[in-house]
Amino acid sequence: MENIIELKNVTKRFEDDGSAAVKDFNLSVKRGEFVTFLGPSGCGKTTTLRMIAGFDTPTSGSILLDGRDITALPPNKRPINTVFQRYALFPHLNIYDNIAFGLKLKKIKEDEIRKKVTEVLEIVDLAGFEKRSTSTLSGGQQQRVAIARAIVNEPEVLLLDEPLGALDLKLRQVMQRELMRIKKEVNITFIYVTHDQGEALTMSDRIVVMNKGIIQQTGDPVSIYDEPQNAFVADFIGESNIIDGIMVRDRLVKIQGVDVPCVDTGFAENEAVDVVIRPEDLDIVEEGAGFIDGLVTEVIYEGAYYDIRVMAGDYEWHIQSNMSATPGKKAGLAILPDNIQIMHKPRSSDEEIIEKD
Amino acid sequence: MDRNRKQRQLLALPYVLWSIAFTVIPLLVIIRYAVTDKDGHFSVSNLLAFSTPVNAKAFLISLEIALICTVICVLLAYPLVMVVRRLRISRMTFMLFFLIMPMWMNFILRMLALQMILSNNGILNMIVTGLGFQPLALANTKAAVIIGVVYDYLPFMMLPIFNTISDIGEDVLEAASDLGASPLSVFFRVILPMSLPGLKSGITIVFVPSMTSFVIADILGGGKIQLIGNIIEQEFTRSTNWNLGSGLSAALMLFMLVGMSFTIKDDILPSHPVKDEEGEKKEAPGGEGISRRAVL
Ligand SMILES: Nc1ncnc2c1ncn2[C@@H]1O[C@H](COP(=O)(O)OP(=O)(O)OP(=O)(O)O)[C@@H](O)[C@H]1O
Ligand SMILES: [Mg+2]
Repeated sequence: MENIIELKNVTKRFEDDGSAAVKDFNLSVKRGEFVTFLGPSGCGKTTTLRMIAGFDTPTSGSILLDGRDITALPPNKRPINTVFQRYALFPHLNIYDNIAFGLKLKKIKEDEIRKKVTEVLEIVDLAGFEKRSTSTLSGGQQQRVAIARAIVNEPEVLLLDEPLGALDLKLRQVMQRELMRIKKEVNITFIYVTHDQGEALTMSDRIVVMNKGIIQQTGDPVSIYDEPQNAFVADFIGESNIIDGIMVRDRLVKIQGVDVPCVDTGFAENEAVDVVIRPEDLDIVEEGAGFIDGLVTEVIYEGAYYDIRVMAGDYEWHIQSNMSATPGKKAGLAILPDNIQIMHKPRSSDEEIIEKD
Repeated sequence: MDRNRKQRQLLALPYVLWSIAFTVIPLLVIIRYAVTDKDGHFSVSNLLAFSTPVNAKAFLISLEIALICTVICVLLAYPLVMVVRRLRISRMTFMLFFLIMPMWMNFILRMLALQMILSNNGILNMIVTGLGFQPLALANTKAAVIIGVVYDYLPFMMLPIFNTISDIGEDVLEAASDLGASPLSVFFRVILPMSLPGLKSGITIVFVPSMTSFVIADILGGGKIQLIGNIIEQEFTRSTNWNLGSGLSAALMLFMLVGMSFTIKDDILPSHPVKDEEGEKKEAPGGEGISRRAVL
């Protein structure tokens, strides 16, 4: 599969001397891929998307579409369409004319337009809505019109900026599945923005985790979740215990003064590291039976598991286990060496960045 | 709930009294004068006087000037409003600069100043001849009246248009250009249709008074341009024929009411004429995937 979109050293500063909203961004998106930008608020997801759409121009770097440099091309000349977070439907047009907007500009014949609009309305499950006005639609329906309005133009790339952000949880989950079905049906490249890690893990072929305008890690959902490359990614994707440790030697890490076997190698002897352990990988055992003991401070029944907090030394461990525990009692924590993730410390505290290899 | 409504009705009372005292009663007085003769007998001759050659001519000139002024105001207002929007000027600043500040200067003074600027050896002609062109003979012409009316009423065209245009979200405009619209198409396919309510009120606000603005015609037309407003004014002030003045007034009001009812009707009827009935009757077909793929 060839690359449809390439971003090369793209940097965006909104003020000449200001800090970069997007910093030295490099990414290749393959044709037909579903790529998601994931990161906290203000990390530059929208800015990156807007540069791909053409609403903002990069301060430096270039954007390629199908190998052609489109950095200076205005949005109306790019075969790329956007689904906006707040839908941005045209309030003066009915559903039919909203969806037909792009096709009419391309001077396509009226009956051809009618055919395409009817078909795309079926895809988004809104057949028969042609004459409704946008204000009579629910949020989910408006969102589907926004999607239809974009995909009816058969763009090379579809950009979606938190398209489900304004919907409630239930509808969001329905629309996630809906979007994945539509994606399969139309086979357009999707670049999707969200700050919801669950959404990213569910829908994407590939996730780009961003923080402060910098790519933290790129990979498929499983590798992002199971092998986060730095503490930021580990913390952002799912919940994690992140604790200081010292790599005693290969396959042995010191956590809270206790030597614990692990599987990681290749660190310097006695290097200070971040140790990342997922709450669901920890087990509650008898006092003394685990690698560390602590005081159970909180147990919450969550349905599928117990959410337990255990205070050991000055760190409160977070455990998700199907075994319960008694608050106020001592308990031990056990872990399999496989489930311990060791990470280099970030080089400087304000730039939580790590080299990808 | 009922008490709430009563309270609200009570709050409206001062306004109701105000409009009875200063709108309804004067209107009734005018109508009474309009349909009677000097001796107080019923007569429609005052209303019919509208069609005498002198009055009809004044009416047509008024109509012509009002139309030209309204069109010029629209053509000037849109680019100006677009610039104002681009500059991200707030509504408050806009009102201050375009509506309130001009009012700090007395209307008559403004018109007299304009008269001097446009006069045969005024500033405008100094600039024109300075640039090596023939001097313009604008003083006491229709063009001078038009310039005066446009100068005075342009803000009232801009304000409602500005209001509707500043309500358009930036993302809606971006969506249009994202879907392939050039800046020009964005204007004609999104901005213009979305600002129609503002355009309509702008036209109503500008057209009606510019038909009757006898002061501007007096000052800038040098008495040579007789608008219907001037004739009505003269009936009241010089000939003191209140019945005829009221009759012309009422006839003019009638004309404007009929004109306005067209724009109002436009608002009530659906603004998106149904293209054809086909889609309405068609049943939503069940899940059927083959044809979907064909199109995309
Ligand atoms: N037009 C602008 N002018 C100045 N600064 C801007 C502008 N747009 C964005 N920024 C800044 O750039 C940074 C990145 O913003 P961006 O909107 O891309 O974040 P985001 O990842 O989309 O966040 P969110 O999840 O909240 O939408 C922020 O610090 C923001 O304040
Ligand atoms: Mg954003």
